[in-house]
Amino acid sequence: MVSYIDKIKEISKQLLEEGRVEMVIGFRKGTVPMMNEPYFAKTPEAVEHFVWDSNCGINLCNYLTNRTEKIGIVAKGCDSRNIVTHIIENKIKRDQLVIIGVPCKGMIDRRKISAMFEAEIGEVIEDGNTITVKGADFEETIDKKDVLQQNCAVCIHRNPVIHDELVADPIQEQTDVDRYADVREIEALSPQEKAAYFEKLLEPCIRCYACRNACPLCYCPTCFTDESRPQWVGKGQDPTDVSTFHFLRAYHCAGRCTDCGACERSCPVGINMRVFTKKLEKDCLELFGWEAGLDPDVRPPLDTYKPGDPDDFIK
Amino acid sequence: MGIEPGRLQFSWVSSAESTKFVQVVTEVTQAIKALGPNKTLVKTMPEVA
Amino acid sequence: MKIVQIEKENWEDGLKKLAETYRLFGPVKEADFHNFKQLEAGQLPDLSCLNTRLSPKSIIYPQTEVMFQYSLDENEEDHHILKEVDKDYSPRAVIGIRPCDAKAFELVRLNFDTAEYKDPYWLSAYEATTLVGLACESPCRTCFCTSAGCGPYHEEALDLLLIDNGDQYWAKIITDKGEAFLAAAGWTVAVDEESALKEIGDKKKVAEDKISAFVKTDKLREIETNDLYNASFWEEVSFACINCGTCTYACPTCWCFDIQDENRGNRGCRIRNWDSCMYPLFTLHGSGHNPRSTKLHRVRQRFMHKLKYYVDKYDAGIQCVGCGRCIRQCPVNIDIRRVCGYMNNVVASKDACDV
Repeated sequence: MVSYIDKIKEISKQLLEEGRVEMVIGFRKGTVPMMNEPYFAKTPEAVEHFVWDSNCGINLCNYLTNRTEKIGIVAKGCDSRNIVTHIIENKIKRDQLVIIGVPCKGMIDRRKISAMFEAEIGEVIEDGNTITVKGADFEETIDKKDVLQQNCAVCIHRNPVIHDELVADPIQEQTDVDRYADVREIEALSPQEKAAYFEKLLEPCIRCYACRNACPLCYCPTCFTDESRPQWVGKGQDPTDVSTFHFLRAYHCAGRCTDCGACERSCPVGINMRVFTKKLEKDCLELFGWEAGLDPDVRPPLDTYKPGDPDDFIK
Repeated sequence: MGIEPGRLQFSWVSSAESTKFVQVVTEVTQAIKALGPNKTLVKTMPEVA
Repeated sequence: MKIVQIEKENWEDGLKKLAETYRLFGPVKEADFHNFKQLEAGQLPDLSCLNTRLSPKSIIYPQTEVMFQYSLDENEEDHHILKEVDKDYSPRAVIGIRPCDAKAFELVRLNFDTAEYKDPYWLSAYEATTLVGLACESPCRTCFCTSAGCGPYHEEALDLLLIDNGDQYWAKIITDKGEAFLAAAGWTVAVDEESALKEIGDKKKVAEDKISAFVKTDKLREIETNDLYNASFWEEVSFACINCGTCTYACPTCWCFDIQDENRGNRGCRIRNWDSCMYPLFTLHGSGHNPRSTKLHRVRQRFMHKLKYYVDKYDAGIQCVGCGRCIRQCPVNIDIRRVCGYMNNVVASKDACDV
């Protein structure tokens, strides 16, 4: 995957030289291990700063919302599905975009890797299927597949579903992954156990809203948490308010979430909040046969009514 | 979410189905009373220091 | 000035005695990282922690704090009166705070303790707190304290500085509160001051030499505010920002809050919560106008405040202690060291007139 960068730069430079786009959104190298910074290039020279590696987990579609320029954007499988959802929801127009598609074999989980070592990590080097982690007095090589982001490990849409350019040949999709093993475990708990589970999960939350803001779907001009007339959710650390924020946000993403993992990745206190959205994703799949962001011409089930929609829960 | 089954119920009742309305309201009220007061996601005043 | 030697085998007993006088706080590991928590009976602070994920500012300045409560029930005696809520300002001690986080309290104090305005909650909590610092032997790559007015052995705001010396800690007494702390623990064995100070000085130099990150702030005071404000790099700097509150909440020198009332039925309370200038609603006026309505405005404001406005207003250096938390935790890797570099290098605009 590291070899993709030459093609990304080539395409981006060409787009800017030909004036087909005003900017290309990609990543530049981060200043700490395992991080890259979303970056826009407005000139062919600026494209030289672009990088591409297994630390590009941030969903760049987040930066498209309501923009008016012509934009080139580097998009992985999950990102491309969010672009489709954006198009369906009128947050960007298809003809504004030149989508530089990247078949993705998965991003590494920086928190998981940091937790594996007591001492500070100085450098992380990627080499094909291995990751070498170096510190002041240690060096260890691990298999990339053991430290993938959780959403990447169970990804079934690694190839972009929409693109104008592709930086490499499509890769094989994973077929024998169980996407919902963790959701089923929670479903099997009793109501009291569930309540306790979620309370414990959300206990470290500091209401920074990094999860909400990193998510391309969360673009409401006034988020429900910021409404004050009436105030639906308190702004403090009361556990009921914290839970309400997470539950309600997940519901707003139902049928739209592509499991890109940006929320979990951005959380400063390491909360695995994907359990909420994955439950709703499973429900949409089972009740409506729906997967988000695959086709820009089909309206999502929570947008439309069909006579066959499940309603056996209504008396 | 940790709320017991039976505490949240859905029903279609037309304004012309008054008998059904009475029946549904009575049944649901009884069902919830049998479950007892809800303890999950209940906030009265902020529980903070 | 005295230096007291604490044998590590006496550490636990001392803490037990201290718990009779102080509420103790220290770094505690939960899941994958440490945070400062109140120590339960017999719980030891984990002093192997490099630094905590969030700063200890929440001990003095909780994220959510109830200020007043009220009842509109006319059957109650104090109805329709805003009553202060009982607070616990009994003595508390924070063990294992790093010098950067301690100095941060003094930077924040300049704002909360002025001749005109005092924050009674913050001050009461601060004055009830004894800060027992732990000198840093292994600064992180993101620590730039030495160029932010601080350092791994810096003593500002600390009552005691603990230096790890193998089988013992050396406790350098800095204030009377520190001395009282040691007495309450029963740690009273002093060592020869001169030789200990020399050794501490040597260790301090070793630690300071390990710092590998720096910021240059020498020109920030003299550069014209408008030249910084109108600089061309803000678009690039602010592009990645997602306007969450991570940097603000993790930062030991950030202090902004929002006050609101929450009520239910005929009871209510007034609470204050941490707020962040990164949020779009932070500057929303009642009229509907928002002077910082774009991301660029807000990101620029953050760095201008930390590296320029505070510098100009208080003449006490930048509003940053180089702890590096914002750098490590920013979900999109915006780096204050990079921004400070851009700002410090701004050249006066050619159009500036010499008035």
